[in-house]
Amino acid sequence: MLLFRSEELVDTWCKRQNLERGEMLSLQQVWKLSKLWYSNRISLEYHGRSMEQVAEIFKQAGLASKFWYL
Amino acid sequence: MKDDNLLWQARHFIYSHIAETIRPPSVDETAAHFGISTEGASELYKELHNRHALFLDLERMAIRMANPFSGFPTDFKVHANGKTYFANCAWDMLGIPAALHCDAVIDAVCTESNDTVHLEIKGGQITNSQLPDTELLIHFPLPFARWYEDLVFT
Repeated sequence: MLLFRSEELVDTWCKRQNLERGEMLSLQQVWKLSKLWYSNRISLEYHGRSMEQVAEIFKQAGLASKFWYL
Repeated sequence: MKDDNLLWQARHFIYSHIAETIRPPSVDETAAHFGISTEGASELYKELHNRHALFLDLERMAIRMANPFSGFPTDFKVHANGKTYFANCAWDMLGIPAALHCDAVIDAVCTESNDTVHLEIKGGQITNSQLPDTELLIHFPLPFARWYEDLVFT
């Protein structure tokens, strides 16, 4: 996942890499996702997560498009 | 893997080691910590890799990624707790303060323009960036269903 200063720069990069554009999220959206995804990552109790748990995180982060389907 | 308890303890040791030192422990350091052989520690690393709990450079038997932390220098630097960590990607640069539950200053680079981007995380909020939030974007190139096809590209 790469950082860009504008949507136009994403498109320029994708065109040069011959890639289709994926999903673009704002910093605030990714920060919300990060807190849900990584907050327990260092804990001894973290043993990975199920697809159901992943789906719940995406839902809580407001990521509902087909791009985030499991 | 006979002993999942040891496996998860090893995962926890690896993450704690990175949090304290900014770098992942070598196989030998993990072996010494648990009083096991280097071969035994290598098996733990491979099993964690197979379970997507970390991502190994298999040729060097070194940890390349323990998300959100990178085992190697990257363009995504996260200054936190008096240390400088390297994140694997733009998502993970935010993942590090989320994982450490701390404030952070982030120095990153716009992939296309090469402009430096400076961010601050304070009190659980992104408090400062030199650009309005709406102009900074993180691009996810692959849908979730394909993330594990090529983790380095993802």
